[in-house]
Amino acid sequence: MNNTPRPPRWIDNLIDRLAPGDLAEEIHGDLFELYRKDIHRKSIPAARAKYIVNAFGFLLRRFFWKRNSLSLNNSSMLKNYFIIAYRSLLSYKSNTVINILGLTIGMASALTIFTFIRHELSYDSFHSNVENIYRVVRVSGKDRSEGRTGVSYPVPGALKDEVAAFQKMTSMEYFGEAIVEVPDSSGNVIARFKENNGLAMAEPSFFDVLDFKDSPVRWLQGNPDKALTDPFCVVLTESLAKKYFGSGNIVGKTLRFEKEADCKVTGVISDMPANTDFPFSMLISYSTLRTIRARMQDDWSSVDDSHQTYIMLPDNITKQEAEAQIAKVHAAHTPKDLHESRFYILQKLSDVHFQSQFGTYSGRSISKSMLLAMAAIAVFLLVTCCINYINLATAQSAMRAKEVGLRKVMGGSRKSLVWQFLTETWVIVLMAGIISLALSEILLWQLQSLLNLPLQHHFKDPFILQALGIVMLVVTLFAGLYPSFSISKMNPVNSLKSKFTTETLGGFSFRKVLVVVQFTVTQIIAVSAFIVVSQMDFFRNQDMGFSREAIITFPIPHHDDSVKRQQLEDRLLAQSFVSNVTFSYTLPAGVHRRQNARNIWRTGETSRNVIFEYQAADSSYTSVFGITLLAGKNLNNNDRETEILITRVLSERLGFRTPEEAIGQPVSMSGKDVTIVGVVADFYNNSLKEDKGNIVITHNTKAFTSGSVKLQSIQQYESLQQAIAKLETIWKETYPTDIFEYRFFDDNVKAYYEQEQNYAQLFQFFSIVFLLIGCLGLYGLIAFAVNRKSKEVAIRKVLGATISHILVMFSKEYIQLILISFALAVPVAYYMVNSWLSNFKNQITLTLWMFIVPGLLVLIIALTVIILKSMRTVRANPIDKLKYE
Amino acid sequence: MASRIYLGELEELILLMVALHNSEAYGVSITEELKKHADRELSISAVHAVLHRLEEKGFVKSKMGGASEERGGRRKRLFSITAYGRNALQELRDTRNTIWSLISKVSPA
Repeated sequence: MNNTPRPPRWIDNLIDRLAPGDLAEEIHGDLFELYRKDIHRKSIPAARAKYIVNAFGFLLRRFFWKRNSLSLNNSSMLKNYFIIAYRSLLSYKSNTVINILGLTIGMASALTIFTFIRHELSYDSFHSNVENIYRVVRVSGKDRSEGRTGVSYPVPGALKDEVAAFQKMTSMEYFGEAIVEVPDSSGNVIARFKENNGLAMAEPSFFDVLDFKDSPVRWLQGNPDKALTDPFCVVLTESLAKKYFGSGNIVGKTLRFEKEADCKVTGVISDMPANTDFPFSMLISYSTLRTIRARMQDDWSSVDDSHQTYIMLPDNITKQEAEAQIAKVHAAHTPKDLHESRFYILQKLSDVHFQSQFGTYSGRSISKSMLLAMAAIAVFLLVTCCINYINLATAQSAMRAKEVGLRKVMGGSRKSLVWQFLTETWVIVLMAGIISLALSEILLWQLQSLLNLPLQHHFKDPFILQALGIVMLVVTLFAGLYPSFSISKMNPVNSLKSKFTTETLGGFSFRKVLVVVQFTVTQIIAVSAFIVVSQMDFFRNQDMGFSREAIITFPIPHHDDSVKRQQLEDRLLAQSFVSNVTFSYTLPAGVHRRQNARNIWRTGETSRNVIFEYQAADSSYTSVFGITLLAGKNLNNNDRETEILITRVLSERLGFRTPEEAIGQPVSMSGKDVTIVGVVADFYNNSLKEDKGNIVITHNTKAFTSGSVKLQSIQQYESLQQAIAKLETIWKETYPTDIFEYRFFDDNVKAYYEQEQNYAQLFQFFSIVFLLIGCLGLYGLIAFAVNRKSKEVAIRKVLGATISHILVMFSKEYIQLILISFALAVPVAYYMVNSWLSNFKNQITLTLWMFIVPGLLVLIIALTVIILKSMRTVRANPIDKLKYE
Repeated sequence: MASRIYLGELEELILLMVALHNSEAYGVSITEELKKHADRELSISAVHAVLHRLEEKGFVKSKMGGASEERGGRRKRLFSITAYGRNALQELRDTRNTIWSLISKVSPA
């Protein structure tokens, strides 16, 4: 008989767990007996199934069990906790509202920040083999401090040919903008578009190295292996394909780029996701580049920052070994001075988004320390709203002392009291959590311009729901444990004797420590926000060495003939609103411009090789942009790239002691002999975050792609609109088949600081949130103190105290606390702000005032809250408070 | 003693079974007897629930019996009917008999 197979053990365990002792034995016995009979009558599996069904029958009926014995089941107590929680939350309405409000704001902001951090961390994490993919970046300068993206055109080819380990690599060039025309079968243009971003040239190996495996990017049409092989082929994303051709199979159709290059559509892919630093919408075959830039294919010194190479390293080679190989190849092909001043190193793909000294194609990058700062803000927001809760709950404890005392006298255990208060906390946190889910969605939408996140629904997002669940649990424990233990600790005799009714002001208490912590964090954020904003003002208003007001810039078509350009210039100069016109290769600074790095050395002095930025312009360039000539003469409009202007720093780097000394000196510019005719004052060709540039300006009409108009004096808004309209008309009459667009030069320069501007606004926003939560807590504490002290106030008034005396009495303590927290906040804020500012070459000098002003502001706001709240009690007629004694 | 007895149909049936197997009745035996005599197939847990309810109401009492090998060495809870339970059954039967005798008088069929 012992060989009867055992019934399922897990269900036995379940019964043991849930049923009281002897009942379990009885149930097991009956079940087993039936089971054995079933085995004889039917089969083992049937018996087992029946066993489980019967056992579940018992489990479902377990509510009978507890009547039989004193069960250990807590469910009825739990229900009671909720009822009590509900009642006490109702009876302290204002506290409940303050708590829910504070927790909601804190949790919603934290959720928003989590969403943001998750988005940033997800950038390009979906490629397989992400850990082995590297971008080739270049650093220059003696200390290798100047980081740039981009490699010279011959570099990737040479690396692939000469290093065996570099087999999986891909190069690309990002153009961003282009004019795209859709021709019909006979070649006539039927539609014309201007694309402002997304145009790139890529090798067939692009999708080998960057496979977008775990993203929704897929090939929809065309052959992925062949699509990018031949020159003049283009692969479109789905949305662009729809825009140009509508639906249907479009492989084999033709697009015309920049009005000259016809490309065949060879494939369609789905749109790139939002979280990639390859935000391409059109991929033209890289071999096209070799055709149109054939002349640059052997130029090892010129670099375009948007020409980048990615390598997937095999497992058997380390990053250091690979970099050594690259250095060897580079050294073999370039003169000593170049390969000793420029180094190609490897940057992990997973670092591309987070090392902002190099750029990304998406134009978006965020340092890990900034992400850390955001995470810290989220955590501290949660901490401050927990502190609010703790403070209010412990302050309230005096009122609840009687309840606790009575419960203890009636036999309530401390454990059950702790559970009761935790349940209360949980109810509040739960309500706040649900509201914060909605609020965080609103926040995300409101902060869209700053965070630039794809919008999503938090209610449906499992990550957010999980995060919220964890946050709620942690907040409940963090906020609820201390108050519930401290309240339940009370001695019932003392609490019933109403010893607690006299709350003393002053003295040291845990609550005060918490207030100090809260306001320290608030002040750190407030001070940081103030200084970040000051730095932004500095960026915006600091003289960069050129004038940027009242200048409108517009592109002029490539390969434009000089006759048309001259016509345009003459017609524009004839307009009353135009003060001056210049044509150039690029602009002195700004984000929307071309950048071209070359190297220069004094003739016969190849050892002193300096990398500079090449700018080509006509003679009005210096006057339109207000660049001052320090020595020599301006450019000559009939010159053909033989005379150059250089900036002062460049003249110094080339070894000239004074600007005058440089005039007339022969130099070699990427191998071409030219003469320095003038030295101009330094200007910042990149943002103020970096140093003044080494710049050469020369006259080369072939390179001109941009026109700039300096407007006559400050205009009215209407006349400005008219001026732009007139400009557009003239431009369109000159270039009837092109698309006109214009930019204000100052906006273009301001765009350098867009990211910092966003940070500044975020900091401002969060400092307000912190202040709001802090003041909510303060309001609650004061409301409580004022209530408890209403009789004392009345007596003081009867005895002759003035209103101001009493207000001082109430606010003195909090002013002290806020001053202490200010003293604690200053060094922390100083350290943080200083390390942020040290990222920039040009920065404001920190003064004491930058700390005192925001600190004072916080103090004044807190004081206003205190006084507003206490005013009513203070001004009340003392009779009303005293007549019931 | 309460003048009215609330006893559901199933409760009455099971109470009868307890009376039948007095002091030897337990979950499994009652389930099987119910099948045999009344053609009622009930789950063991339902029978348990009724037995415990009857005990709560005072119609039956129980004690733990000896362990047996066929139950895997576990004891069974043996139910026996109380005097109150016996009264209740008697009373129910009397009520019914009275009503039946009235029925046969009114409509002799």
